[in-house]
Amino acid sequence: MRRRAFISLVGGAIAWPLVARADKSFGRRRVLWISTDSQPDPFLDGFREGLHSRGYVEGRNVVLDVHYSQGNPGALRRMIPELGSGSIDLVVSSGPATRAIKDVTSVPVLFALSGDPIELGLVNSLAQPGGNFTGSTFLSLDLAGKRVELLKEILPTLRKLIVLSNTDHPGEQSEWCATRRVAHALRIEPIYVPFKGVHELHNALAAAGNARAEAMLVFPDAVTMVHRARLAEFAVTHQLPSMFGWSEYCDAGGLVSYGANQRTTYFGLAEYADRILRGERPANLPVQQPAEFELTVNLKTAEALGIDLVASSFLFRANKVIE
Amino acid sequence: MFGNRTTVLHSYWTTLRANRPHRSLFLKYFVTLFVVGVAPLMVGAISEAGFGYQDRRRQIDEVLDVEARSAANRIQTFIDGIRGQLGWTVQLAWTEADDERRRVDALRLLRQVPAISSIALVDHTGHERVFVSRLGLNRIGRGPDLSAAPAVLGARARKAWYGPLRYERDSEPYMTIAVSGNRAATGVAIAEINLKLIWDVIAAIKIGDTGLAFVFDDDGRLIAHPDISLVLRGAVGSSDFDQVKSAVAAAPGAAVMTKDAAGKDVVAASARIASLNWTVIAQQPVSEALASIRAALWRSSVLIAVMASFAIALAYWLAYRMSKPIRQLEDGVQKLGAGQFGHRITISSGDELEQLADRVNEMAKELAISKDKSERINLLKRFLAPQVAELVERSGRERLLSGQRRDVVAIFGDLRGFTAFASRSEPHVIMPVVKEYYRALGAVITRHEATLASFTGDGVMVLVNAPVARADPALHGIRLAIDMQAALQPLVARWSAKGYTIGFGVGIAMGPAIVGTVGYEGRMDYTAIGSVVNLASRLCDLAKDTQVLTDPVIAREVKDAVPLVPLGEHPIKGYDRPSQVFMVAPCSERSPEITFRAQKLTEKAEWREHKATGLEPIAPLAAPCRAAPADVSA
Repeated sequence: MRRRAFISLVGGAIAWPLVARADKSFGRRRVLWISTDSQPDPFLDGFREGLHSRGYVEGRNVVLDVHYSQGNPGALRRMIPELGSGSIDLVVSSGPATRAIKDVTSVPVLFALSGDPIELGLVNSLAQPGGNFTGSTFLSLDLAGKRVELLKEILPTLRKLIVLSNTDHPGEQSEWCATRRVAHALRIEPIYVPFKGVHELHNALAAAGNARAEAMLVFPDAVTMVHRARLAEFAVTHQLPSMFGWSEYCDAGGLVSYGANQRTTYFGLAEYADRILRGERPANLPVQQPAEFELTVNLKTAEALGIDLVASSFLFRANKVIE
Repeated sequence: MFGNRTTVLHSYWTTLRANRPHRSLFLKYFVTLFVVGVAPLMVGAISEAGFGYQDRRRQIDEVLDVEARSAANRIQTFIDGIRGQLGWTVQLAWTEADDERRRVDALRLLRQVPAISSIALVDHTGHERVFVSRLGLNRIGRGPDLSAAPAVLGARARKAWYGPLRYERDSEPYMTIAVSGNRAATGVAIAEINLKLIWDVIAAIKIGDTGLAFVFDDDGRLIAHPDISLVLRGAVGSSDFDQVKSAVAAAPGAAVMTKDAAGKDVVAASARIASLNWTVIAQQPVSEALASIRAALWRSSVLIAVMASFAIALAYWLAYRMSKPIRQLEDGVQKLGAGQFGHRITISSGDELEQLADRVNEMAKELAISKDKSERINLLKRFLAPQVAELVERSGRERLLSGQRRDVVAIFGDLRGFTAFASRSEPHVIMPVVKEYYRALGAVITRHEATLASFTGDGVMVLVNAPVARADPALHGIRLAIDMQAALQPLVARWSAKGYTIGFGVGIAMGPAIVGTVGYEGRMDYTAIGSVVNLASRLCDLAKDTQVLTDPVIAREVKDAVPLVPLGEHPIKGYDRPSQVFMVAPCSERSPEITFRAQKLTEKAEWREHKATGLEPIAPLAAPCRAAPADVSA
């Protein structure tokens, strides 16, 4: 064994410098980013950052084609035949766009979903996706209930809760169901305020304003994310303690958020993008789930709302406190 | 004689050239010098590489062993840390109004330890009292009875209990840890641990640039790997590592060479975490682990290549220097062999070869001189007896050949009736006769050391006393003439038996003549010019078969030794007056006494000559004397 290894070593020594140099060639890859939302896109920024950290420079070794079809998944569906032409190496889909292109088989697709990719039929299992789809899921169903529970802890007297939800979002109905179930368990009346895309957001907020609720729960998605400042301001204006999915909402003035770190998720997605561009098959890349969840509290908002969190047993649990 | 040797030499060289060995001397020198120069270098480099490899293997074994142990320790510390943190929740005995305080404790623990995804606190009765989770809904108050759960039983029995690995949704690795306090009253804390968070520990382990460590349990399931996606493949992905696992299991405590999940050659070592029944494998790709050795080997190869080229150049130069003079010698000797004695070999190597070349050059010079000399002797032999020719050559008396006036004895011999015979006969009949005739005459002339002046058809002209002076030339001449006649008569008898009417007559005269070599380059003859030559020729013409006719000068000189018969005066063509002619008496008319006297005289003369010149005495005449017919018509 050792002798054989030694002989192969001696033999390899001659060829070694040639082999050592041969690896670096890597052509320019095309990545198509599709979304049913609109720019500015916080997820795209996270993904870009992840690509850059892995040595990709746009224009040099990667081209990022950004394709937005605001509120119109049908337009994306019409792109499917084009994807087979071979010029695209990877598709990254965000939000409802994933559902629109679930029939794509010719190109690897990376997704970031709050819903269940198995239920959507994108993958066979989390461990073995088995097809051309893989990506991240945010465990939103579990978290949806947890968010209601957290709100109840802050406002033990909570009875009526506005649930603001973009129905364009894949898995939105499951999320709403999970929320409603927990709310009922905690004797809270959820007031479902759905809206379809950014156009209906204004009307939805008007409806929420008239709901006479004691708190507001906003489902995390790209639309609410983009308009997080407006939502936060709305909540404060209407004296509604607000609960969000991601800490960015609290940065914009939301009261509390609980969920996985978005940037970390998209950053991680970039790792998969890198591996797929280097030739790995999505079928063998397990769907990622967040391992850590952030609880973020905005104390300024709490103060504005007249909620004393400092005395409660809540603050020590927060990963991030905005003062 | 020498020409013959030259031919032999030449043919020897031709043969040698044709059978020349395939590997030349140059190649032999070259290969030898090259091997001598490069072999030690290669042996050195290879043995150094071999030892270097062994050292490096030992070093890799140690490094991997240390890394595996260190990783095992870190994971142990990680798990121990979680267990230690859980310990806080089971320090105080349970009371009925404890739940809210315990809930806060549990929440703080969640905050403190990210790997814990949920905690259940079980009271002394085995009932769940508090449950907090990162994802599920929290519960508080008396819950289900867990007293029979393995976690509770395990923790009660051994303080700490580690559950089996399981994959949540077939993907995320989880494990249950249960801890009990030091009394039953403190209850049990059961925590679900998300083992993905060991990733931080495992990913932090770097062995070289691409070496790594990973962890699996006794069932062979992957727990932690720097590439988290391998872990997330769940039980399915674990089988990829079977080869490494079995290889490492086969050699506990030592690093082994095997193939990793991707089929790459790796060196791997393992360490066990006994409390968890986990095994840590530290591995490094062979290519990287042995990179330093490879680099050293590469350097050695380059060095060997450089030294080999140097050795080639040096060997070529040395072999050239050694073989060139030898080839020059070979060529030189070959040229000498081909007879180019003027060729000289120029070697200035300052060694034995140069000396050898000088010797060969000297030899060539000697050969040239010797050849020159032999050529001159050959020339002399054309008209002198061989021993006389060599004597002339040795004593350097070539001047004898130059023209001078002296007394000579001229002898002419001629066949009688030959012209008529030749005109009647075919060449194949004539030539044997001529050949026999000259062979017989030549032998006599050579024996008497006389000078052969010319052959003309059936005639021969012989000189005595020129160019080499003889004592008593007249006697010498007459004896030669008698012997010629004596040598020819048996032939004449044989010819006449065959019906050829051929006889032989001899004329001899003595007198002053001018002698010397005449002719042109390469075709020189020694001859005499004077009336004595004409006289001898006329006497020969007069002589009948068996007769030897002499002039009065000879007759006077030899009258005491040889009986002569005066034939009276005969008119001689070209002479104004008739001349006295004598005939040597036929054998039967010679008295024994006279013959004896002639013999004695001859011996005396020869002995004097021997003293003066060193020439061997002539063997006594043994020519049979036969009765000859008194007259044979010409």
